This record gives sequence, C-alpha cells and structure tokens, in this order.
Amino acid sequence: MFRVVNATGGYGKTVIIRDVSITVEKAEIVALLGRNGVGKSTLMRFAMALIPAFSGHVEIDGHSVPESPARRAKAGVGYVPQGRYVFPRMTVTENIAVAAETNGHSGRVAVESALREFPMLRPKADDLAGGLSGGQQQVLALARALATGPKILLLDEPTEGVQPSIIDEMAGILKRINRERGVAILVAEQDLDFCLSIATRAYVMEKGSVRLETDRESLRADRKLQQQLLGV
Amino acid sequence: MELDYLATVLLSSLSSASILLIATIGLAVVFGLMGVINLAHGEFLMIGGYAALTATRYGVPFIFAIPIAVLVTMAIGAAVEVLIIRRLYGRLFDTMLATWGLSIAFYQLAVMIFGTVTPGIGMPQYSLKIGNYSLAGYPLLMIGVAMLATLFVYVLMTHTVYGMKARAAIQMPEMARAIGIESYRVNTLTFAIGCGLAGFAGAVLLPIVPATPSMGFAFVIKAFLTVVVAGPVTLTGSALTAIGLGGGASMTASFMTSVAGDAFFFLITAFLLWLYPLGITARWRSKM
Repeated sequence: MFRVVNATGGYGKTVIIRDVSITVEKAEIVALLGRNGVGKSTLMRFAMALIPAFSGHVEIDGHSVPESPARRAKAGVGYVPQGRYVFPRMTVTENIAVAAETNGHSGRVAVESALREFPMLRPKADDLAGGLSGGQQQVLALARALATGPKILLLDEPTEGVQPSIIDEMAGILKRINRERGVAILVAEQDLDFCLSIATRAYVMEKGSVRLETDRESLRADRKLQQQLLGV
Repeated sequence: MELDYLATVLLSSLSSASILLIATIGLAVVFGLMGVINLAHGEFLMIGGYAALTATRYGVPFIFAIPIAVLVTMAIGAAVEVLIIRRLYGRLFDTMLATWGLSIAFYQLAVMIFGTVTPGIGMPQYSLKIGNYSLAGYPLLMIGVAMLATLFVYVLMTHTVYGMKARAAIQMPEMARAIGIESYRVNTLTFAIGCGLAGFAGAVLLPIVPATPSMGFAFVIKAFLTVVVAGPVTLTGSALTAIGLGGGASMTASFMTSVAGDAFFFLITAFLLWLYPLGITARWRSKM
C-alpha cells in the first residue's frame, strides 16, 4: 500500500540515493538496514518530501502523493526523524495535540490515548518537551507521529541514544500499535536485534541503493551476510 | 511629599509603562517568538497611526479606525513576509539590511504622502482628580488596554490551535510540515499578526503620540531592548520588563528630569543584560 518508486534524491546537486524502490504492505513491519551513510535517512526524508526528488515518487494505496511534507502527512505518512525533533518550547501535551488537531482529530482525545499508550509521558504531560530525557523525547516523537493518525510510520533510527530498557519497551509498543491499529511501519535501523524482534521483512541498503530484499528468517540465519552488509 | 503626588506619579508611571508595553507586544511576536529582526517594525506602528488618522478624517469614529489600522498593517505585513522575510529566515544580517531599507522606504513614503508635520487628533477629554492633581484619562486607560492586549496574545498563542501551530512552525519549520502544518502559511499569518499589533499600537496611541513619519523610531529602540531583556519567555518577560524598565524610567523622570529617566532605562537594561545575557526569562520553564 505504501510504495517509494525509483527514488533518486540528495542534497544540492549531490545524489545520495539512486533509483530506490521499496514497498510496505498494509499493516506490515519492514526494516531498512545498512551501515552508516548508505542513505537510509535520505530515503526517509525523500519519502516525507523533505528533500527534493530528482526523480521518482511516493504512492499510498495506489495514488501518487504530492511532493509536500504537509500533504504527505495528511495523506497518512507519520514521520519520526532521527534525533527526535520534538517542539522544545511546547509542552508534551501540546506536542501531541497540535499533531492531532492539524489532521482534523480531537487534540484532547489524542492526548488521552497517547498518555494511556505511553504511561511514562503522563508525569511529564505539562513539562516543556525540550527538558525531557533522550528516551522520553523519542517516545514523545513517536506519540506525536501516531497522533496524526498515520497509515504508515517512518521511524528513523528510533533506538539511537536510547537506554536498553526503553528500547525493549519501544519494540513492544511498536508491535502493539501495528497489531491493534493496523499501522504499517518502515524502520531504518543499525540495531539488528531490534529490527529482527519487530520486522518480518527487510531491505538492505548499500551505497545509496537497495542491495537486497530478504525476510527475517534468512537474515537471522545468514551470519555471513550480516557481517558483510552490516558489520555485525 | 504628599500622598496624592505619590499616587499621581505611580499611576502616570504605570501608564507610561503600559504605553511601552503596547508598542512592544507586536515585537514580542515578530522578534521574541519568530526571531525575525524587523527593523521596519517601528514603521508599522507609524502606518497604523496614519491609517487610523486617515480613517478618522473620512469621518470614521476613532474606535472603528483602530481595527481598520490593524487590518491595513496586517495586510502590508503579510505582503512583506511573502516578498522579503520568507526568503531570509535564518539569515540575520540579510534580514536586518532588507528591513532597514524597507523602513527608509516607508518613512520617505509617509513624508511624501503626509508631510513631516501632522495635526494630532484631540485627546478624549476626561480626567481623574487625585487630591490637588489631575491626570488625563486616556493615558490611564492605556493600562487596561495593555493588559487586555497582552492577555489576548497570550490566549491566542497558548490556548488556540493556531497558536500551537504557530509556535511549532517557528520552533521547527521542517518538522512542523512533517506533521501536516503548512509552515509557510502559518508563519506569514504570525508575522502579519505581529505587524497588526504594531498597527494597533500606532492607532490606539494616536491621541497621545501624534502620527509623524518618524514616530516609530521613538518606540522601536526601547521596544527592541525590552524584548531582548525579556528573553525566551517572550510575552510574560516583555510585560514584566516593560513595567519594570518603563515604569522605573518614568518615575525617575518625574522626580528628576526626562534625561535621567532615559539614562535609568538604558543603564538598567545594560545591567540586566550583563546579569542575564540570554534575557531574564532564560531559565524559566514556561512557554510564552
């Protein structure tokens, strides 16, 4: 249902990703793997229209979505960027409410459901988001993306700089969201264990292109491939 | 010193502080919230003044001339944002240069259209007697106007969906777009609102400060300093700073000379900025 088709893009005149095509089916969790600097984040930003497309496009349910981040968000793409980027001088509640209201949902209902889903945010509800710990900001960025009511979530390195206990919790939350709300997830990661624990299928990127597509079992079994492509 | 004199000085100082606050609120939005150094901000005040003056000349009652001034300055503000400011976000010096040029252009335009001297409009005639002293009513009314204007902006920015979008779009434009906010459009509106507030100030202060092409200049320096001293919690900080600095300067001026009042203003500003380089609210954990 979510497709990136022949994506070529980058910064300025520099091409970072070349002719990348990926597909995420309805309610599927797919991992995007690869070493540092292979273009995973650039692909995510391409999908969100945060960088200009040199060529290629993005489709949801068979329809091409215009090249505007706000229009992509409204078409059902939820984005959790690398480095979190919560709105620092807004409260936790406001971060969630503004995402919901912008997309025509009730802010109050979205905040209530987010605080139920992520109890660790409840004691911080009225604090400024900029004062939260890294892990809390990551969870807030996820809650904010969910508040937009997405069909697909794009998660860019969600485990980076997050303590292990929260990583486990996050894996549980993502699987639950996927199961209960039918939200598809595309997760770019370097943490292979995290990916293997949630994703059923994976694309492995190398030098700005998709090197191969594989499923969880083959990737888990193939130590040599892991070594070669991911350096683990 | 008699009690009635003291009360008179206190009230008139509070009213001077309120006048400063009214002139500052627009800047608290444009500079404090958006981080845009608009050197033509004072000229929006001037445009608001002339818009209201022109409207009253055509027979519009003063009270209705004020919203006209707000709409005119908002429209010009929106155009300036789209044509100039939008292209220069994050480019501090380019923005300053462009808006400085704009300020000169607006000033000359006002000289060409209205001349350098304009008759003021009469101050509404009512006054308050305290003991042996009597205070003009309209400047006192500004205390209430300043409170209402501050409250309005506070509620608009913290308790409405637009306010949340506005702050999100300014704090992280790209991320705001990625959750569906049309950041460009929202920023244009916010800048226009800031200019509209300047226009409101120019109009509402018209009975006290007659419209002249250079009237914005008189306010804009103190307004900028007020917002800089205020720091990141821009609105509450500006209100406090305007009352402290503006009120203190006015009190010093009544007991000594108006030069001493200005000296007080700039010395305390320098002292506060030495003490709090990022503004007095730098460590506050609140949003506006």
